[in-house]
Amino acid sequence: MTDTHAANRREDLRLITGRGRYVADSNLPHQLHACFLRADRAHAEIVTINTEPALKCRGVVAVFTGADAIAANYKQFPNMMTFTNASGATILKPERPVLAHGKVRFVGEAVAMVVAESALAAQDALDAIAIVYRDLPVAVSVEDALAAGAAQLHANVPGNLCFEWDTGDAAAVERAFAKAAHVTRLTVVSQRVVPSPMELRGCLIGYDGASDSYDIYTNSQGILMMRWQFAALTGVPEEKLRFHLHDVGGSFGQRSAVYPEHAAQMIAAKKLGRPIKWVASRSECFLSDSHGRGIVMAGELALDRDSRFTAARYQFLCDMGAYLTPTGPASHVRNPAIGMTGVYRIPALHGNFKVVLTNTAPVAAYRGAGRPDVAYMVERLVDQAASELKIERDELRRRNFIPLDAFPYKTPTMGVYEASDFAGCLGKALQAADWNGFDPRREKSRKAGKLRGIGLSTVIEGTAAGMFPKDQVAIEFDAQGRLEVYTVSLSTGQSHETTFTEIVAQTLGVAPEAVTLRESVQGKNLSGNHSGGSRSLVGCGSVCKLAAQKLIEQAKPLAAEELELEPSQLDYADGAFRSRDGEKMIGLLELAKKLVGTNPHPLNLMAEASVGSTYPNGCHVAEVEIDPETGVTEILSYTAVDDAGIVINHSVVEGQVHGGVTQGAGQVFGEHAVYDRESGQLLTGSFSDYYMPRAGWIRDIHVNDHPLPSKVNVLGAKGAGESGCTASLPSLVSAVLDAVRPLGIQHLDMPLTPSKMWHAIQTAKAE
Amino acid sequence: MFEFSYLKANSLSEAAAFVAAHPDAKLLAGGMTLLPTLKQRLAQPSHLVDVGRLPELGGIELKAGRLAIGAATRHHDVATSAVVRNAIPALAYLASHIGDPQVRNCGTLGGSVANNDPAADYPAAVLALDAIIVTTQREIAAADFFQGMFATALEAGEIIVRVLFPVPKRAAYEKFPHPASGYAMAGAFVAEMATGVRVAVTGAGPGVFRWSEAESALAQNLNVAAVDKLTLDATDLNEDFHATREYRANLAKVMTKRALQKMLATK
Repeated sequence: MTDTHAANRREDLRLITGRGRYVADSNLPHQLHACFLRADRAHAEIVTINTEPALKCRGVVAVFTGADAIAANYKQFPNMMTFTNASGATILKPERPVLAHGKVRFVGEAVAMVVAESALAAQDALDAIAIVYRDLPVAVSVEDALAAGAAQLHANVPGNLCFEWDTGDAAAVERAFAKAAHVTRLTVVSQRVVPSPMELRGCLIGYDGASDSYDIYTNSQGILMMRWQFAALTGVPEEKLRFHLHDVGGSFGQRSAVYPEHAAQMIAAKKLGRPIKWVASRSECFLSDSHGRGIVMAGELALDRDSRFTAARYQFLCDMGAYLTPTGPASHVRNPAIGMTGVYRIPALHGNFKVVLTNTAPVAAYRGAGRPDVAYMVERLVDQAASELKIERDELRRRNFIPLDAFPYKTPTMGVYEASDFAGCLGKALQAADWNGFDPRREKSRKAGKLRGIGLSTVIEGTAAGMFPKDQVAIEFDAQGRLEVYTVSLSTGQSHETTFTEIVAQTLGVAPEAVTLRESVQGKNLSGNHSGGSRSLVGCGSVCKLAAQKLIEQAKPLAAEELELEPSQLDYADGAFRSRDGEKMIGLLELAKKLVGTNPHPLNLMAEASVGSTYPNGCHVAEVEIDPETGVTEILSYTAVDDAGIVINHSVVEGQVHGGVTQGAGQVFGEHAVYDRESGQLLTGSFSDYYMPRAGWIRDIHVNDHPLPSKVNVLGAKGAGESGCTASLPSLVSAVLDAVRPLGIQHLDMPLTPSKMWHAIQTAKAE
Repeated sequence: MFEFSYLKANSLSEAAAFVAAHPDAKLLAGGMTLLPTLKQRLAQPSHLVDVGRLPELGGIELKAGRLAIGAATRHHDVATSAVVRNAIPALAYLASHIGDPQVRNCGTLGGSVANNDPAADYPAAVLALDAIIVTTQREIAAADFFQGMFATALEAGEIIVRVLFPVPKRAAYEKFPHPASGYAMAGAFVAEMATGVRVAVTGAGPGVFRWSEAESALAQNLNVAAVDKLTLDATDLNEDFHATREYRANLAKVMTKRALQKMLATK
């Protein structure tokens, strides 16, 4: 539609002038404050727990422990992993009381909750709780957890293996490998990271005894997903859970789930009859918010004499932490399974997935949710094969791309790819990045004592399908006749206020300012998905367009009545109904104002659609320079060519790509949640030790669109929220390895910290 | 944060007397280390005695070849002072690279030196320039002042009043910031004094130290090649999951070379 590159987003002024409303901004009369005592060890039996001294502390009202959690008779944490494996088994779900009972299983697990008149009083009283632990052996890595004789986290999960699942055709893969002219093998790690949105996790819960119902204020990615999970966990019916959701300062999947702290606050709010507020410290977020990634991947790629891929097989060891989160297993198994073939025609595929428990913080979906991990695996394999066979990386890709005439392409495992132009994206990206002119630039760096490299990735991701089968959007007119759009989806930074209002306004031909967006509003009886999986525009955004179209149709007879004409005599354009002869007209918004007073407003409506999976794809090229003296890698330039489908607002897409690429760069160069192998302590528990990407890292970034319309939604959109992360892991590592391959370095695992790079270069020089 | 009493000192002698009489009281100047420590509940002082605005701790003055900087002078004020920039530009440069703008507008010279964080920037300049730390009780030479990780020669109740920096012929500072915290993973302050070249390294070891091999080599040949031939002994350097001691030794050498190169480029 329009390129509002120069314009601010509609939400910007409110958010950057401190008028956003976050969880910590919400308060209820007579509220109390909670603070959690967290396990200071990774694995131990709780022998005794004495809360009496804490109860005597100033301002303390109550202390809750695992015994209260058991007494509440809450159910199991819900899990989105529903499928069975070949032997018919479903995933083993370990018990998780909302406050630890009997055992603690990771450092930071909530053991007790103090409720007091102030947050400081609650925090002071934590020290008065006396716990006697009996320490148990610890397993913090998947390899350690799967080893014979490893520490057992849960009685009902033998060997800490929750689930093993195979996909694809193992026999066909075996046959292809037997005939292969060349086989490339590589094991890579997508290390555990701490997503770290800017807003801290928090929650405020009030209880109404008369109706036995709850008012809940928390960080969320959308009302229905949250309400469903709360109800599933606590057994409280959905209609007794009222959600009050406002601005969210970043989510990345970490804010999609119900957490133990939520349920503990519900127990306290009901028992004490006063609202309970809790806002985490950053230290608590490091320890107890869900972590992301954490997959060890072994891949093998078989090629024939013409360097065409004939088969691939993978083993994925997925670290879930000490308990299963609602999204963790599905995002670490289903999403990688869909992406196992990458953008390549590979006739035979097989994947083996192991879902493993460790004495660490639980893992959940994190921007891309398994898609960046599998793309990283596939692209590293392809680069490695190119290196071994001495074929140019772009040429090996071109030779194996799924061609344009093969779409819709049914992959050998899961998923049917929508039409994508991989070669087109590649060509555009290589040209924009001056791929062919790289050699002189490498030489220039060499003369300055630097190692320069260029890398690429060509990736695809299956996204957008949500848990709820339909996305619904309502258009309603308020008492002044102003147009309001209601959605289930909730922006956590994706610019819905700009994009969705733009879609409605442009469809109607009215000014965007005439449209107000209201998201995840309590009491609106709408179905739909939360923000996540790059789906908001594809699902909710496309229904915004349908709703606007429906509004025109619904308004037409009423406009005709107003103008004393037949509907067939009217045309609609530029926000108004006009008679064919041009004599009479009435604006849609004017009509809406005239109809105020009739209840409900006659133009109120609801639109819906079922939107399936889309497949955003693209080619990213990164150019880096390494200082061998310090091991520091500088990102010199970054070129993204993305097929996000039809683009509604380029600057919003560009913002998403910038964020995704930078977040990917964080994982490539620094981010790593490191647990001590012996003690299970989190060594990177603050920003002093946890290496976040900085805004200045990527200064020269170019984002280009290469849209092929999606056919599954009326906008033709494919989604852009996660593609930056998915493409940047492999492209940046490809560039770094390109810089150091001349030294004989074939493999490095992320994060590529200065220290790691320096050691690798020293070792290579010594050999 | 635990509860504490806040007191604003009216004079230096009042502050010194109070701290001497209350062993659990702490001085507060910029608070850039103390406040995060309190927030993490890693310290529980009975009182915070605010000396941050005492006029007796202010002032930047060049006198008799020495630059005197008051202990409560903010990093930003050192970085932007015309007097400092003329006399010891390397010191202004160092101050301009401490932490972030917020830290530089709150944190103080005296606070940094008294804390003696092994990764702090100022100790490198103080030691390399052979500065004198003037306290409420005496004058302490830099070599005697720093006594290892977070340890100094300061007695209970003794407060740093100012630091006297001898003006070198020329000097330079280069640091490699820790990728996560931004503190120096290794920083080198190189100064050409009347008595010879001095090299102080911060960040790499348990405390700031002089690299004597480099100083001797530079006494023979004042050029980068002289340092390039050396290997800093890594035995006593820090090692953690971020970086090995060998890497830190290398960084210290590289930063020394780069500081030297910068210093030699100035007349």
